[in-house]
Amino acid sequence: MPLVNNKVGDDCTVGTDKALADGKALVDSLIKVVACYRHLASCVGGCTDSLQLRDELRQTREKAQKLSVSICQHLTSHLRDKSLPEEQRKEMELLWVAFSSSLELLHIDMCKVFNMGDIFSPANTAALVQTGLQGGGSEVAARALSLPDLNQAQTPTPADCLESQERNTMEKEISQIDHMIDDMEMKVNVLRWMVEPHGPQYADPLSSTDSASLALLSVDEEQPGHQPLCQRSHIFVLLLLFAVVLLAATLSVCVVFFS
Amino acid sequence: MTIRNTLRDHGQRYRPRMACLKKAEKVLLEMQDPKTGVKSQPQRLVITTIPHAITGKEEARNFGSMLVALGYIYPLQDHKRLVIKPDASLYRFQTPYFWPTQQWPVEDTDYAIYLAKRNIRKKGILELHEQEQYNRLHKWMNHKWDFIVMQAKEQYRAAKERKKPDRVVFDCQERAYWVVHRPPMIFTQQSIMRPRVKSSVSIGALVKYCATYNSHDPFLSKCLPSNPWLTDDITYWTLNMPNVEIPTKMRVERWTFSFGELLSDPRGRDDFRLFLKKEFSGENLAFWEGCEDLKWGTAATMREKAEQIYKAFLARGAPRWINIDGKTMEVTVSGLKHPHRYVLDAAQTHIYMLMKKDSYGRYMKSPVFKDTMKKAICPEEHKFSDSQLEQNAKNRRPSLSPIILRQQEQEQRAKMAASAPVDITQVMSKLSKQGKEVPPRPPPKK
Repeated sequence: MPLVNNKVGDDCTVGTDKALADGKALVDSLIKVVACYRHLASCVGGCTDSLQLRDELRQTREKAQKLSVSICQHLTSHLRDKSLPEEQRKEMELLWVAFSSSLELLHIDMCKVFNMGDIFSPANTAALVQTGLQGGGSEVAARALSLPDLNQAQTPTPADCLESQERNTMEKEISQIDHMIDDMEMKVNVLRWMVEPHGPQYADPLSSTDSASLALLSVDEEQPGHQPLCQRSHIFVLLLLFAVVLLAATLSVCVVFFS
Repeated sequence: MTIRNTLRDHGQRYRPRMACLKKAEKVLLEMQDPKTGVKSQPQRLVITTIPHAITGKEEARNFGSMLVALGYIYPLQDHKRLVIKPDASLYRFQTPYFWPTQQWPVEDTDYAIYLAKRNIRKKGILELHEQEQYNRLHKWMNHKWDFIVMQAKEQYRAAKERKKPDRVVFDCQERAYWVVHRPPMIFTQQSIMRPRVKSSVSIGALVKYCATYNSHDPFLSKCLPSNPWLTDDITYWTLNMPNVEIPTKMRVERWTFSFGELLSDPRGRDDFRLFLKKEFSGENLAFWEGCEDLKWGTAATMREKAEQIYKAFLARGAPRWINIDGKTMEVTVSGLKHPHRYVLDAAQTHIYMLMKKDSYGRYMKSPVFKDTMKKAICPEEHKFSDSQLEQNAKNRRPSLSPIILRQQEQEQRAKMAASAPVDITQVMSKLSKQGKEVPPRPPPKK
């Protein structure tokens, strides 16, 4: 009999553990999609604005919408379950806070894109602001949609008639998210000041191969006055050094061969 | 035309700044026109070139600086100074996503995410004000911190998907946005370095004040002869009138607490003036009073008063010349070229401290003060019966009108000014003029 009891207990916690893991995965992917959406939104109105960009925005937004709806259902049902053990509840509340913050960011970005879409039409390229961007957001959109290559999801987009439809849909979706935010606050009472985060105060500095772009920006920031000269002299010195190293290498090889 | 939050804008669209922003945006869009707009050139960084950089031209500099300050254009070099410089430094247009609008409140969450991203990029080395802001935000938005860190990491990774020049441009855009909306504040650093008093010291001072003044407070302790608010008998007020001949003992005791108390009580000031007259250093108090008059007087008479004071007290060979150090004199005289209410503040403080450290001490030991103290009265306490209290209540009368009081004050001041007080310089000059021999030299002034 004790064995049977234990088994029941294990099943329960296993069940909620799985729910927690699922919830976490969903929230993580929503955060990723929201981040990508922000990158894409920052291109609207700039010189890389195009029908393709708008389409990518739409697809990213739809994905975010789907994720939000499923997370909302998942978390609401679990948090309203009174039999949830205390630890699990705390984790769920953390996810809840992350979810509501992502939703707020998404809402703002969607509103901005909606209004900027009014002002800047991708058809009228002369009026687009020359922001210095050269590439589009295809890679970012691919990341958001978790596709190795965006061409897989491309659908041909005829211009005008779809645009007005698009705007209506967007309006509807913005208000849907608005309602979701309000509903959430009504249905589940999460005391934000009781929520304690796990993570560190500082994000881990990713020791990535990013030194190149770091170098670009540090040149930008730290030497206000004499950039062109410095860059030229930098290249010259680097080339010289490279030549010297090459020479040394060939000499040593020669020494080895002929000794 | 400006970006609007159609759902929750809290009436921001009616603020006057919006009209300014709308006009700026219109011009900005016209600047984009490839034929009639501003010419752009590519910016060369170490291994890449980024197009669409513009330079500032002479005639457009003011307008351009305004655009930079608002955030529509950002400088590529020296990004913290939001002005257009008349050299070949480069600027770029800000993307519409980051345009300043008042209806999108600049969220602290976004700033926290930006700082976290910057921390990742700069491998933990943030500038001082950024560090402070980061810590502050960490404290206030602690519950969201996991989300903020995760979102920062995701945005960073999403940025890596883009091409390098685009990544640089986006970073510059974001940085420029936050320079406009969260300018580095030096004030917080200064406020940290401000000297602070230990609470034990300040509380000790408070306790001392309470202990000293406790017996003098008419509501906390007995008031002699009786508290007029309680017994309707105004003897207390009559005995403590500003210009009464004989003060009460309590009043005289208060003069011993501090120099400020002595000066702020008109009867005390009179006594002090008498003492100074005997010491032939009355000009200090007269100067101090003149400065007070200037500070609190009407603006129309300010210039006149300042001139009179200068002629009477500060000019070389003035009849009532006051003794202040050279530096203060210099500062005051140069300030008097453009007189304002507080032009004599430095000199007044100097004279105040002089009187406080020197004359006040001697006043306390002087026969004038001792005399006053001896003559001071200590009224008997009233003991009213109930019927007498009722009688008092019936006999209540309004006091003298403040207009009459002020007139009396002014008359008295005029009388005092007319009977010019005697100072050593005047005595000497008068006597020498009359040809009489100089009287024996009085004791040195200070």
